[in-house]
Amino acid sequence: MPVDMNLFRGFVEQIRQLPAMAQPTDMPDPDRVRAAKAVFADKLDARLASHLDACVHCGVCAEACHYYVQSGDPRYTPIHKLEPLMRYWRREKGPFAWLQRLITRDISEQDLEDWQPLVYDSCTECGRCSFACPQGVDIASMVGVMRQALAKAGLIPAGLRAVEQEQGSRGTVFGVGGEQLMEAVEALRARGYEVPVDKEQAEVLVLSSTLDILLFTDALESTVKVMNHLGVDWSIHTCAFEGANFGMLSGYEEVQEAASERIIREAIGCGARVVIIPECGHAYPAMRWDAANEHGEPLPFDVMAISEFLGREVMAGRLKLKSGQRRPVTYHDPCKIGRHGGVFDEPRAVLDALGLEVREMPAHHEMNYCCGGGAGLFVIDSAKKNRELGFDLKREQVEATGASSLVTACGSCRLNFLAGADRVHWDRGIESLVELVGEAIDGPVRAG
Amino acid sequence: MTLAELVDGPLWTVALSVFVAGVAWRLLVLIGTGWKRDLSHPRSGSLGGAIRGVVGRFLPRQGMAGRLRLHLVAGYLFHLGLFALLFFAAPHVDFYRDRLFGFGWTPLPHWAFVLAAEAAFLGLMLLWLNRVLNPVTRLISESGDHAASVLTFLVMLTGCLALARSHETLRLLHFFVVELFMIYFPFSRLMHSFSFLLSRAAQGAHYGRRGVRV
Amino acid sequence: MNAYGLLWGLLLALLSTAAQAQNDTPPQSGIWIPNPGADLWKAVRQRGQPEPSTTQVQGLDSNQLINVAGEKFRDWRRERFIRYAAYLLAGVPVVILIFHLLHGAMKLEPSGRKLLRFDLYDRVAHWLLATVFLFLAFTGLLMLFGRFVIVPWLGLDAFSPIASASKEGHNLFGPLFLVALLWVFLRFVARNLPAWRDVVWLLKGGGVLGGEHPSAGFFNGGEKLWFWSLAVFGLLLSLSGLLLDFPSYAPSRELLVLALVVHGAAAVILVAFSFGHIYMGTAGVEGTLEGMRDGTVDANWARQHHDQWYDEMVREGRLEALPEAQENRVDETGTGQLGEGRT
Repeated sequence: MPVDMNLFRGFVEQIRQLPAMAQPTDMPDPDRVRAAKAVFADKLDARLASHLDACVHCGVCAEACHYYVQSGDPRYTPIHKLEPLMRYWRREKGPFAWLQRLITRDISEQDLEDWQPLVYDSCTECGRCSFACPQGVDIASMVGVMRQALAKAGLIPAGLRAVEQEQGSRGTVFGVGGEQLMEAVEALRARGYEVPVDKEQAEVLVLSSTLDILLFTDALESTVKVMNHLGVDWSIHTCAFEGANFGMLSGYEEVQEAASERIIREAIGCGARVVIIPECGHAYPAMRWDAANEHGEPLPFDVMAISEFLGREVMAGRLKLKSGQRRPVTYHDPCKIGRHGGVFDEPRAVLDALGLEVREMPAHHEMNYCCGGGAGLFVIDSAKKNRELGFDLKREQVEATGASSLVTACGSCRLNFLAGADRVHWDRGIESLVELVGEAIDGPVRAG
Repeated sequence: MTLAELVDGPLWTVALSVFVAGVAWRLLVLIGTGWKRDLSHPRSGSLGGAIRGVVGRFLPRQGMAGRLRLHLVAGYLFHLGLFALLFFAAPHVDFYRDRLFGFGWTPLPHWAFVLAAEAAFLGLMLLWLNRVLNPVTRLISESGDHAASVLTFLVMLTGCLALARSHETLRLLHFFVVELFMIYFPFSRLMHSFSFLLSRAAQGAHYGRRGVRV
Repeated sequence: MNAYGLLWGLLLALLSTAAQAQNDTPPQSGIWIPNPGADLWKAVRQRGQPEPSTTQVQGLDSNQLINVAGEKFRDWRRERFIRYAAYLLAGVPVVILIFHLLHGAMKLEPSGRKLLRFDLYDRVAHWLLATVFLFLAFTGLLMLFGRFVIVPWLGLDAFSPIASASKEGHNLFGPLFLVALLWVFLRFVARNLPAWRDVVWLLKGGGVLGGEHPSAGFFNGGEKLWFWSLAVFGLLLSLSGLLLDFPSYAPSRELLVLALVVHGAAAVILVAFSFGHIYMGTAGVEGTLEGMRDGTVDANWARQHHDQWYDEMVREGRLEALPEAQENRVDETGTGQLGEGRT
């Protein structure tokens, strides 16, 4: 269960090599601006327009943002991150565009460059600002639009770009492809686990992630255990197992679509009725909310986060868990699964069933603070200070509960917590929900 | 034509027309920007989410109130005071009856009107001071934000100065500033008085669909 | 003798003239010619009456046919108050100007390192009070001097709406002054508690007229004098103002007249004081306005003018660790002392 910290540190070191691996994206400046504007034009609908119109520059969003709260630097103000989009809309699509064009400055390539650190390094699209805004402005969604615009303008930060380019061209992340998955599968099989791979028909298609294969191997093992124990007709597929979507993280739409489509094709191909997302934050909204719209029609299967699936099985009485020592823990809702996903009760039902005492942090459920390291920030070297700021705030939140351990269901969150814990020699545990379940299953787990 | 005839006559017509047409146009353009159909399976209803979004945002979110004391106190003092003044101050009720709707309603008693005015002024001054002194709003504010604050303040001030109802000049000054305000309104951030409904409803619907309590 | 001492001297002079207005004795004449209506008018004016008059009519002052106090006030206001107020309000800026031309501003050699001095609420409270005060001072002075300054310039027809507007504006903003004053008082009182070093500072004239700069804490003696004057005179202004805003609640007309006197006197004193405060905060001492505008001051400014506060900040590590953009942090404790830094 505890993560091998040497392995972790090695992993972190490898990430630092990423920027050198990124392919350059040289474009003439006017093309960059044109490309960004094309994205803005495509994405602006009545929903986003009403948001841009309603903002009164009150500054409440800053008070919700973990980076601003920790640093006091007004440049982290969430709505400020949308300024080029705001100007574009006013000048070219808004109600009095003809008038605004006279008094509002056009977007320049310099603006796009200046905004790169604001929408990448300084924002995890956690959505807390959207929820705090008195006018209901969905700032987080629009930071996503900003990323999409900057991606088309060739301005994805190098480290993130490297992984996006890899996933776009080779379909792998950090070199982890079908081969590496099979290595992990064979290791599990060697220990007596049945692991169905590439089944032609399966009711449940289980996804995994590079992080689970390289680092959080217990998470993969626990997932196998749960599926087998429940007698689920499940499979994992070597050509479509990666839940992480670096097209989504970087904002590069084509790669996002391609990665999602690979999974959709496989799921339809094997007749799956459910696709299970591993403990990975953004992977959930990528499939649960975005994939159908990219695909062009509703998906013929349900999408569930593993924490959601576990919770439902526990709540329906199908998954019995051994109650361990009653110790105080706190649950960190990953932003993309909680605030963006609607999954809150299920993980807590699991923790309850495990006999743990769940203590909520001062900011909890929809208003919990982001871990500070998500949305691809972990592969952006220049975002290191911000990731630390985020962790320091979460640390205070956790310690306020008196809990001995922090439980979460997202590998990205886990990375940031581990990095922070390593830095400050934190005395609290950092645990994974699925791994806790894996250790507490009451019954056979090796075979289905 | 004297200034008085201008302010009471054609300028009022122009201001009212620009206001009504401008607000309608702006809202239509917003709504007409197009809707994207969401093909994902909803977890919950959008309509419920939209309503909750509109109503729920009147209160700060869990854990936020401590950081928003100035915003909350000043914001509500101003908006509630202004609302009371605008719709229930005796001179305004008279105006609505005589010049707009043909019917009136019970106005506030004088002491309540004074209290509402004090609240509105205090709130607006606090809000504007926050805007210029808080580094966050100092960074993100534009000239339009300041213009809207100043213009609103002038409307309220000229109204206050004319309170004795003793001099035509003072009443005309107030009317004139109000007319400027109405003409400026549709082109400015003042539109938030209407667009907040659309924006809150849109966010409420979007996240409500995902089963999140907005 | 510093600016504040000068102002105190003028205050005493003003108060004595006000006192004098109460004793008016009739002039001496050679031949005594009895006025047939003298007795009647004596009775009407209630002079030498053993008891006050009675009447069937119920109401405030309904047993008075002619209000004597009001007439006395009108005389005092016209003959003495307006005159001396004009001297004071014209004189103080002249004195300040002369001082500035002779002495020049107190210069600052910036170190570039900032220290957080006033948090967001400090500054909002201060500027709220300042703007309300300036508005009230402006409208109040219009009402006091308008007849002599505006009318000759713009005429009676123009002044009439100006006067009406001033009265309405003044009356409406008055209660806001009390609210703002209370807020400022509560936020700043802990930092304005008098200490011996403040007396020393005052006796040394703030170091303004030569000699080394006397030691000071967060606020120096002069600032504390201004704070407490503002508190005392501000309270007098507010209470008298409230009575004047709601005269039907006054128990007697005499009290209203007293309120008018107190209101006028306190206002003029405070306005005169405020010239000094505004001068010191802007042209007088370089680097001061920044504190109330942005919240931060230069470390050298602090060391120069508030050395004991500066030392305390260094001891607490506030100077070294503080990045530039920290002035938004709200002081939750309300005591003016910041909590631990978050980073």
